[in-house]
Amino acid sequence: MIDFELSPEQRQIRDLAQRFARDEVMPHAAAWDRDATYPADTVAAAADLGLLNVGVPTEHGGLGLAMLDEALVAEELAYACMGFYTILMASDLGVTPVVIKGTSEQQARFLRPLTEGPRLAAFALSEPDNGSDAAALRTRARIEGDEIVLDGSKMWISNGAEAEWVVVFATADPSAGHRGVVAVVVERGTPGLRAQPIHGKLGQRCAPTAELVLDGVRVPRANVLGEVGDGFALAMRTLDRTRIPVAAGSVGVARRALDEAARYAAERQAFGAPINRLQAIQFKLADMAINVETARLATWRAAWLVDQGRPDAAASAIAKCYASDAAFATANEALHVHGGYGYVDEYPVAKLLRDVKLNQIYEGTNEVMRLVIARSLVR
Amino acid sequence: MKILTILKQVPDAESRVRVQHGSLDLTGATYVLDGMDEYGVEAALRVRESGVDAEIVAVGYGPAATDQAVRTALAMGADRAVLLEGDAFHDPLTVALALADVVREEAADLVFVGGKQADWDSAALGPALAEALGWAHVDWTTAFDLDGDAFEAVHDVDDGSETLRGRLPVVVTTQQGLNEPRYPTLPNIMKARRKTLDTRAADVGQDRMVVTGHAGTERERRRVMLDGDARSAAGELVRRLRDEAKVLREEGR
Amino acid sequence: MILIVAEHAHGAARKSAFELVAAGRTLAAATGAPLAALVIGADASSVATELAGFVPDVHVVADPALEPMRSEMTTRAVVHAAEALGARVVLVPGSRSGQSYGPRVAMRLGGAYLEDVTDVSFEGTAVVAQRPTYLARVSAAVRTEAERVVVSVKLGAIAVAPLADTTGEVHRLDVPFSDDDRRLEPGPRQAAAKGRVALEEADVVVCGGRGFGSSEAFERHVVGLADRLGAGVGATRAVVDAGWRPYGEQIGQTGKAVAPSLYLALAVSGAVQHLSGMNRSRVIVAVNKDADAPIFKVADYGIVGDVLEVVPALEEALAGRD
Repeated sequence: MIDFELSPEQRQIRDLAQRFARDEVMPHAAAWDRDATYPADTVAAAADLGLLNVGVPTEHGGLGLAMLDEALVAEELAYACMGFYTILMASDLGVTPVVIKGTSEQQARFLRPLTEGPRLAAFALSEPDNGSDAAALRTRARIEGDEIVLDGSKMWISNGAEAEWVVVFATADPSAGHRGVVAVVVERGTPGLRAQPIHGKLGQRCAPTAELVLDGVRVPRANVLGEVGDGFALAMRTLDRTRIPVAAGSVGVARRALDEAARYAAERQAFGAPINRLQAIQFKLADMAINVETARLATWRAAWLVDQGRPDAAASAIAKCYASDAAFATANEALHVHGGYGYVDEYPVAKLLRDVKLNQIYEGTNEVMRLVIARSLVR
Repeated sequence: MKILTILKQVPDAESRVRVQHGSLDLTGATYVLDGMDEYGVEAALRVRESGVDAEIVAVGYGPAATDQAVRTALAMGADRAVLLEGDAFHDPLTVALALADVVREEAADLVFVGGKQADWDSAALGPALAEALGWAHVDWTTAFDLDGDAFEAVHDVDDGSETLRGRLPVVVTTQQGLNEPRYPTLPNIMKARRKTLDTRAADVGQDRMVVTGHAGTERERRRVMLDGDARSAAGELVRRLRDEAKVLREEGR
Repeated sequence: MILIVAEHAHGAARKSAFELVAAGRTLAAATGAPLAALVIGADASSVATELAGFVPDVHVVADPALEPMRSEMTTRAVVHAAEALGARVVLVPGSRSGQSYGPRVAMRLGGAYLEDVTDVSFEGTAVVAQRPTYLARVSAAVRTEAERVVVSVKLGAIAVAPLADTTGEVHRLDVPFSDDDRRLEPGPRQAAAKGRVALEEADVVVCGGRGFGSSEAFERHVVGLADRLGAGVGATRAVVDAGWRPYGEQIGQTGKAVAPSLYLALAVSGAVQHLSGMNRSRVIVAVNKDADAPIFKVADYGIVGDVLEVVPALEEALAGRD
């Protein structure tokens, strides 16, 4: 039956994330955003607490955290700074295909080192001319004996320059469409691999993003996840899971926006009273609360399905699409409640809006989410 | 050796505490492990980490929800826990007597107790527990070092601080400055799942003191904001303190 | 009989002793019970003489090992006196030391302990009191019918008693101390700043926060202003954690609780924990550059501004006043 009571451990996990977010992330978030600083020390501190790479299975030294537990962490960290959470989330995005499809040898080789220090992974699917149409990718994979040679470039890769290794999706046979896609783990420092940092982002400015240029990059065939041709399905199965943390992060941003708006509305006076006495403001706050609560429900349900061993593409897409749209709307209304003050950096709401815009775009735009949902309806 | 650390769950300091018709209203309060008790858990862990072979037992007392506080201590690194489940409020002396039974049963050598409770604002539990056990105690402790069964502690006294030396057993009450408590890490939270939490009904005697009512302590304040530049605001402040509030003595130095 | 434990320092009774005399007189008058004071120390004779101007009987326990105060020796002495004199109520100060031996005395007497009360009286045969709880946001009414009651009285909560017009008698009391009473060996002491008025006894307290930016600026502005006003110096938790000031100056839940006539909160934001240590002050002044700081909600007078500008202006205004 339905039960929304968190277990004692889940409450502790949430409390830990909340405390870390409040003490280590929130006080610095504005400065990181202003200077586009990558917060290496705070990522290391998160790793010390076990908050990094939570999806690594226990047999490889990780925690094998359940998806609902991960959602609790996501909401709390994103409450403090969505950009910071993206660093952690993008690493788990890199970890997930190795967990799903990696052999035990590959998991030991790639995953264990990530549990031994503040080390990141990355996931490289999008390309400069190709994002949502993942089957049309152009990065080439040529098989030469025991090696795979990669040529091409990958765009918008979170942690691209910082990651220990990145899962690169390439095509071994462009004529085969998505059946030609292969997923390969490429380690940092492999000759021919170059990361070009991308600057000038609207939001999530502390999360590093890069373009990866692959110029005759040779990796052993032992780095291929599954078989040649498995790559596309693996990418989709990965995203079915990792869209849930995007949804959970969106809930965190929405909740923060609501809290900021409620606080400001209690302090700001107009017509001789706090503006929260005005029904126009009260209704906005109520709508924001509806957004937070319903987005969390959709997120938790999708997470619960994963934890039941029944990951559901449509449920994940609904959660990601709905929560990120709801969070954007909530941040937008929170900014509006702040009036002119919302439009400047003095208050944190402008950053919420800039940050959460990306949640509607990455790991599949919300249009792609609707395609995924529709696919489950139209057979 | 065995170290006990005594725990209590209290409303978070940010929680709203209201008084209505003489009774306390804590609706909506979130409960946390008392921060002063957290210093005690951390102190116990540090004794062990200094190379002492010690078992650390977290002992909570209070209503069933106190298991959260106890689990926090387990996740911080305590080895196992005992929860004395009972009413939310008892006279600290009565609680001390119940806890003394546990300390004796566990044959503990060292007990850490929070220096002051964030709900009952009481500093009595530590000294009362020591008295019930016939042990010495050190209160308001800001440093604690153990060498064999000899300890050296620094604690706050009325006009500064004092060093005390002695031998175990001892009850130590905590004070801010003793340490910086660690977070329970995610791996330790997962590990704590497998630790033993022994819940039993608290065997408490008759309270020696009862609470008969509550009242708010907020005072009416003037809440006058003085505007203008620093100079004129300061001048106006001095004038008002002298003439209106009458709290500045004329000699002033 | 009502017995008060008079604490002292440097050969003179502390202010708390006279607060206890006032509380003790009220209790004694209500029941017709006699009032006596207990003075414990290495050399307590001058304090005993001083107290004899206030209470009819002063009992003295003198032992070189009682300097500095040791909790267990004091416990033994108070318990011995309470039993020998048949005290129904023992009043102890809500000082660090009183809070150390108070619970032990109550436990050993098999009695009740009313802690850190702001007011105490009889209601029939019961002893009733008010005490702050929940970080001093709530005052709880407590009651006990116990045969022996130890009451610690919050420092500064009760106005000091005036001198009585009779001279009391001083009695020596021999206490059979045990070796266990001396099992903790006192080592070096670090005294709070010399010559400054004790925080809990100060009529004016100047408290500073992190907004001063450095320990040097804190010294110049906060300590400077306190010296000008003959005030006690207080600090927030953040200041103490930063190592600018000793723990003994911290005001709040984990520090000291004060109730002066005038409390100046300079660059203090006013977290609940801090308020619990100063919300009984008669007049509160707040200076903070954040107009939304919670301290302004409890302030009588507030100035929104930078303390580094306002405090020098305040010094100037005070100098002009002389």
